Amino acid sequence: MRTKFAVALAGLALLASIRPVVAHHSFSAEFDANKPFKMTGTVTKVEWMNPHTFFYIDVKDEKTGKVTNWAMEMGSPNGLMRNGWTRNTLKIGDVVTVEGSLAKDGSPTGNARVVILAKTGQRLFAASSQGVTP
Amino acid sequence: MTHSLRTALVGAAAVVVFSSTLWVAAGQGGAAASPQATQGGGRGGRGRQAGPVEPAPRLPDGTVNFGRVPGEKGVWAVPYIQNMAMYVVRGPGSTELLPEIQAAQQARAGGGGARGGGGGGGRGGAKSEPWMPWRPWSAAIYDYHSANESKYDPEGYCLPPGGPRMMATPYQMEIIQLPEHKRIIMIFEGATHIWREIYMDGRKFPEGDALNPTYLGYSIGHWEGDTLVVETRGFNENTWLDYYGHPHTDMLHVVERWTRPNKQTLHYEATITDPGAYTRPFTVAWDIPWRADAELPEYICQENNQYLYRLTDDFGQPIFGPRPQPGQRPAGATSGTR
Repeated sequence: MRTKFAVALAGLALLASIRPVVAHHSFSAEFDANKPFKMTGTVTKVEWMNPHTFFYIDVKDEKTGKVTNWAMEMGSPNGLMRNGWTRNTLKIGDVVTVEGSLAKDGSPTGNARVVILAKTGQRLFAASSQGVTP
Repeated sequence: MTHSLRTALVGAAAVVVFSSTLWVAAGQGGAAASPQATQGGGRGGRGRQAGPVEPAPRLPDGTVNFGRVPGEKGVWAVPYIQNMAMYVVRGPGSTELLPEIQAAQQARAGGGGARGGGGGGGRGGAKSEPWMPWRPWSAAIYDYHSANESKYDPEGYCLPPGGPRMMATPYQMEIIQLPEHKRIIMIFEGATHIWREIYMDGRKFPEGDALNPTYLGYSIGHWEGDTLVVETRGFNENTWLDYYGHPHTDMLHVVERWTRPNKQTLHYEATITDPGAYTRPFTVAWDIPWRADAELPEYICQENNQYLYRLTDDFGQPIFGPRPQPGQRPAGATSGTR
């Protein structure tokens, strides 16, 4: 019983840790919380920079074979480090699955909330600027 | 299902509910203006800490120490106060939210989802905050910021939060008291890695144009018992009061009161007087938890602010244009401008 309770608490600690930790620009002016996405691609570039870390992935359309380069926005390096990232967590050529919200302007841009590394299955929270969303 | 497993599940569910409540309280809809709400570990914010409540540390001269104890780390984990109108208390010294706010919080909680967060939903403009002492223009500009979801927030341009918003923008900060110099320095990780100086030497404000308007204004402080009272004038008009876009003018005059009811908690209060934008003063207050294991990291917002390159005006036209490529001049740049 005590163990189960400890597990529940650990889960809650994890939940608490994914609370938004950055605020720079308006999330909702740029991204639509009602347009979630999940896509898998290969990392082509990483910008470990302020105020937001960006990484870019090539995503292949399974039907047409067309490859699109998507820009993925995350939190600041400081916010990401508090969530367990380092500047070497993502490397060019890594295959990742990204969950987040699409840009409102229809461009291939997303706000990443969770990044899953294909080679390890590790789920990383992206210190998203998506604040208190429904 | 065994009895113990059922007990564990019910217990876990109860903790989830309890935790969610704290989560809400820590976010926009928080009723946690009272220091009691965060006693026992600063649970109202991001600095979750276990352990007993310790008394506030003091300097050798007996003054309350708003910073670290020698040999220890620690920073203030400033919460994300997106909408200050939801933190208006009855008046200076009070920790009780206006009854209208409590009613609005209950209505939102019952409405499901939209609790005034920045991520979408719950933006009702000036009409949704009838307790705010609007002037017609400040209500109108607030409606505009509400409708476009704070698209033109100066913080998005990597400009300083300014004024009380420094204590409402979720980056870490420290307060360093220098009694022998008769000044207090506040240093901030974000939103623009800036510092603030509070003059404790009993000086008066510069008069007339000698008081040059700035982002953080000119701050003079004094002690009232264990309360640090700071009066600030001389703000410019380049900032908003909060993320939601409550405006202010250069007539803004802020009186802040800081207390440290225990080692883990900083209680912050600001009385905002701006006859240019509001018909009467109002006071906002919240708690800021101590994060004992942290130090301030570098944060340079201007490094790669791609938001600017994608920012458009009300007609969909780029304001700054696309990101310039190496060797290329920024769009719209002509010689002799800027």
